[in-house]
Amino acid sequence: MTSQVEILPVACRQVGVRYGRTQAVAEATFQVEPGQVYALLGRNGSGKTSLVRCLLGHQKPTAGRVELYGQEVWTSRQVLMHRVGVVAEEPDAPPLMTTRQLVRFCGGLYPTWDQAGVDERLGRFRVPLDQPFGRLSRGQKGQVALALALGPKPDLLVLDDPTLGLDAVARREVYDELLGELAERGTTVLITTHDLAGIEGLADRIGILHQGRLLVDASLEDLKARHRKVSWAPTLAVNAGDLAPFAPLWTRAGSLGGEAILSQGDPGQIPGLQVHALSLEELFVALVGSESEVAS
Amino acid sequence: MSILAVTRREWTGRRNILLLALGVGVIQFLGVYFKPDPKTAQDYASFVGIFSGTMLAWVVALLCGATMVSRDLEERRFGFLLNQPLHPAQIFLGKVLAGLGLALVAGVLASLPSVLLSGLWRGVTLRDVGSVLGVGLAGSLSLLLLFHAVSIQVRSRSLWLLLDLMAWAVFFGVVRWLSLRLIAVEAFPEMFHLWLGLLVGVTLGLGLAGYLQVAQGRADLQRGHRWVSVTMASTLGLMLLVGAVDVAWVLKHRPPQAKAQPRSSRVR
Repeated sequence: MTSQVEILPVACRQVGVRYGRTQAVAEATFQVEPGQVYALLGRNGSGKTSLVRCLLGHQKPTAGRVELYGQEVWTSRQVLMHRVGVVAEEPDAPPLMTTRQLVRFCGGLYPTWDQAGVDERLGRFRVPLDQPFGRLSRGQKGQVALALALGPKPDLLVLDDPTLGLDAVARREVYDELLGELAERGTTVLITTHDLAGIEGLADRIGILHQGRLLVDASLEDLKARHRKVSWAPTLAVNAGDLAPFAPLWTRAGSLGGEAILSQGDPGQIPGLQVHALSLEELFVALVGSESEVAS
Repeated sequence: MSILAVTRREWTGRRNILLLALGVGVIQFLGVYFKPDPKTAQDYASFVGIFSGTMLAWVVALLCGATMVSRDLEERRFGFLLNQPLHPAQIFLGKVLAGLGLALVAGVLASLPSVLLSGLWRGVTLRDVGSVLGVGLAGSLSLLLLFHAVSIQVRSRSLWLLLDLMAWAVFFGVVRWLSLRLIAVEAFPEMFHLWLGLLVGVTLGLGLAGYLQVAQGRADLQRGHRWVSVTMASTLGLMLLVGAVDVAWVLKHRPPQAKAQPRSSRVR
């Protein structure tokens, strides 16, 4: 049992983060298994960044324990960072250093540095090597950050909203790069993102943070199997009582008919209801959407 | 090696300081070269060269200290270093070394043209150079560490700043009182030693505070501030205690006649 716990790439236990009177994260408990892609989702201000900062040893949680590969991050950050690649939410490399200088800087810090791989990636991204980082476009900064994060051939990749502010093509390139890395090395990935459509084809497991609490921690398959999206024609009279046994998360009814996302049971038994495939985005909105939206 | 990597990274971001220093040096050179009175030109050149070089070194140290960590933290760029396998000591020492190196090179660049012009270098021994560089570097280190701590304290915008101000006020108040006690018995060398000791002690305390801010505060500016404040207050308290013991010892072992004699009788 102990050895199984020790090899977990990520283990958060009852993690809490507090800023003065504000509880940013409360009792967050989840783990990421080797080779898994764990997507940590949440609205702005839900506590994702605080949790990621704790995961990387940038910040000490006010409660609980964060472990990477069985070691507490706060005390063993330096050792652990040999195994972790990070892409920060905001590109944070020194703006006056060129890409070439950044590669040289990072390359000197890791014994496992894959110079050929980094060169190959940067070439593929067509990033100018001698331009200061601060003068690169948002997309190019993200690509440099990803190339640097993958440079030491990490066992764990932590990506904090890597597609934020990127256009569709740049987003696709980030995901393609990740897919390639996963296929080649089976790297464990923890990613926070708002790009739910993009991550849907990649994530094995989903965590949804809402107001600092981890509402959901389940495999994407389980989530989709448990939740159903149903719709009905305007001619069909469906009321709240009919759906109550299926614990609806979200319902909407109008002159064009109705829709609902149900969290349990098989709604197929109600005649006239059509069951649809549920996207991650629809599930996310149903779980953490505003009160009015849910109530409506 | 990792320390030097951090140092190089810092240098890359601040190379413009060296251009500024070179500019200062050239302007001085021109000013001295075209000075109308050739008799005083040499003295003037050597004075201006060394003075401005030292001042510039200290200003550079002050600027580097005020920005080396706190600006990264405020602009959310400190995470880049924390995401690398670097020990907090490597990060902090790398940054301090970069600041000191920049201060030294800026000082030399600013003073060199005038010193060369004045011919001052002809009579200079290695010991003289060492003394000037030593004073310049020691002053730079103290300023760098002091302004690092101050910038953290100011930028965190926390109420702990009140504790910091109070600690410094008490420190200077007690040092003044101790100095007056020594002045009253004309123990001037002892007073100089007291100040030097306090300066060295406080500089060491500032160094420790800076390291702890990086090691324990990391990306959390306010937590870092708390560590700086606690370390600083403890250091100042400890130094005052040592200073008070030292002054008490001096007063106790001072010959009685020295205590009573007025200054005029001693001169005679």
